[in-house]
Amino acid sequence: MSAISLIARDELRLMRRNRVAVVAFALLVLLTLAAAFISWSHQRAIAETRARFQAQAAKEFEAQPDRHPHRMVHYGNFIFRPLGPLAAFDPGVDAYTGNSMFLEGHRQNTANFGDVRQSSLLIRFGQLTPAFVLQVIAPLLLIFLGYGAVARERERGTLRQMLVQGVSARQLVAGKLLALAAVAALIGLPAMIAFLLIAGQPDALAGPMAVIALGYAAYLALWAVIVILVSAMMRRGRDALLALLALWAVLVILVPRVAPDIAANAHALPTRLETDIAIQEDLRRLGDSHNPDDPFFTAFKQKMLRQYGVSRVEDLPVNYKGLLAVEGEKLTSRLFDNYADRSFAVQAAQSGLMNGFGMISPTVALRRLSMAAAGTDLDGHHRFLEQAEAYRFAMVQQLNQLQADAVTYADDVAQDAGADTRKRISADHWQAVPEFRFQPAPASDLLRASLPGLLLLLVWLAIAALALIPIARHVQKARR
Amino acid sequence: MSLTANGQRIVVNDVHLSYGSHAVLRGLTLHVAAGEIYALLGGNGAGKSSTMSALLGFVRPDAGTVEVAGYNPATQADQARAQIAYVPENVALYDHLTARENAAYLLALAGRRPEPQAIDAAFEATGLQEAAWDKRLGGFSKGMRQKVAIAIALLREVPVLLLDEPSSGLDPKATADFNRLVHDVARRGAAVLMVTHDLLSAADIADRIGFLEAGRIVDEAAAQGADRFDVRDLHRKFTAGSVAA
Repeated sequence: MSAISLIARDELRLMRRNRVAVVAFALLVLLTLAAAFISWSHQRAIAETRARFQAQAAKEFEAQPDRHPHRMVHYGNFIFRPLGPLAAFDPGVDAYTGNSMFLEGHRQNTANFGDVRQSSLLIRFGQLTPAFVLQVIAPLLLIFLGYGAVARERERGTLRQMLVQGVSARQLVAGKLLALAAVAALIGLPAMIAFLLIAGQPDALAGPMAVIALGYAAYLALWAVIVILVSAMMRRGRDALLALLALWAVLVILVPRVAPDIAANAHALPTRLETDIAIQEDLRRLGDSHNPDDPFFTAFKQKMLRQYGVSRVEDLPVNYKGLLAVEGEKLTSRLFDNYADRSFAVQAAQSGLMNGFGMISPTVALRRLSMAAAGTDLDGHHRFLEQAEAYRFAMVQQLNQLQADAVTYADDVAQDAGADTRKRISADHWQAVPEFRFQPAPASDLLRASLPGLLLLLVWLAIAALALIPIARHVQKARR
Repeated sequence: MSLTANGQRIVVNDVHLSYGSHAVLRGLTLHVAAGEIYALLGGNGAGKSSTMSALLGFVRPDAGTVEVAGYNPATQADQARAQIAYVPENVALYDHLTARENAAYLLALAGRRPEPQAIDAAFEATGLQEAAWDKRLGGFSKGMRQKVAIAIALLREVPVLLLDEPSSGLDPKATADFNRLVHDVARRGAAVLMVTHDLLSAADIADRIGFLEAGRIVDEAAAQGADRFDVRDLHRKFTAGSVAA
């Protein structure tokens, strides 16, 4: 057996014989399993609830009686974002962004009912998920198990004894690293097994799953290297522990918490109220279809009359009010899309800046990778919003077109006693409106989005590993 | 193993060593031949520990040459250390391991895999009680630890044995056992260098004694006849300077 494996085996034997280390390790494994179970059951409950509400909303929409189509435009429809299988491992921003939307004519509503708005404030400090345990708790355990790996040898004089036995400092550092890397693998193993169990469903994507596994392995390996580096640099174990705890607090807690605030300040989003006021002003500028003197709608009316070769809207073969509704929705949707695009651009700039913090904190890089591969990052949320808007627009325009085609202009403007009945169309039409089906991002998109985070982590790992070389030389010079 | 010129296993020639502006070795010269026991006697600050560090390759002399079994510890630390068994004054062993595990582990690191019976025999030779062999070192006294370290050093079977205050912490019987063991090692051809400030211990065991003061040997005495050393003369030499401070 080589000196490296002998040293690694002895370090593991020391940990095994240390009751505190064994209990801490067992607790982390239990915590990981509990997190996996809780996350899995939570996500399953969420998925079932959303599926149930989605079915109920569709049923209620289709069960509406004979009505004027525009009433259905305002009756609207609810849609819910289904979660992908990897969301059980890393729910990402899902708890914060909202997951249901009310779709109606003339307006784009925002997503509602994120978990953080429904739960106690505690959830804001991080949900107990396997991702959270591996990102935050696992490095802490590696610190407690490994801070003394080299520093203890120096402090107790055994370092000199080992060097005298012919062991090189490089072998010593490599052996200690091998032991801590084995512990890191053991820490990650239950989470990875749970990951496979909760995410390994028929529709799970193998590529993103592999990237997540690789990313977490690189992250834990990085922490093992950092712990050994600091342990080898410090004279005393106590100093190594303090330095590592400070590093953990900054890299794992402080930077990931402060970075979003910095990003939000650097690229500020207008408030909801400011946006609403601006949209109302723009809407007013678009014109008023009810105002006979409105220049835009007067021009539109002339265009329709020319197109159909008639001189009065009453002579049009289609319902002019329906045409107006189609045109009005097109205009307002374009306006809303512009605001949404601007908002997405600001959020993308925030995300870009936030991702840049991955160069300062490997936890930020890992989160980016993890959420992107799980499809639970901001891009995943935007994907839902874009599909929701596309669905809303198609649904509203389908109903507006029904108004144009299936309700006559004469009936639509009539005020007599039977007019209300004549304006109604068959409820069968509601069933012809397709249900919302969220199309999750393909594996290639998820992989592309997660690769920068993985690359950043690998760069971190390479730099830390290279730093071990001069540190080993420093250890070799142990005089005492 | 290889020998240096003239069959010397340890050669220190005109070595100078400073830590910053503080000179600790100032022209130290000493030679220890195969089968010889050399005691370096000196008080606090005389340069005993720095001599050990230079022999073990932990410090590089500013001037002069050091050779251990033909290797320069400053430039060939791994090769030189492979020829050395070292017992420090404050024995550093692993508290989480038993005496047997400590021996097996440290010897394995040195590339040796003695039979369990050989380890037991070495423990027996040092006088370590059998009941302690399978106990973790956490509860061991300084003397017991010393015995474990000496057993490990013996099992290394190398040409150079370095001992730093070896009798410190040993009771009189254990000291006598230890002296006998060191003689056995020397008889098998090893060069033994011990640094100590215990004049009687040095007189008891050494073939030659060097008096170290302010980083250089100021006097030397060689064992002669059945009485070996004139202890009164040794004491006079030892206390002549400031070495016994």
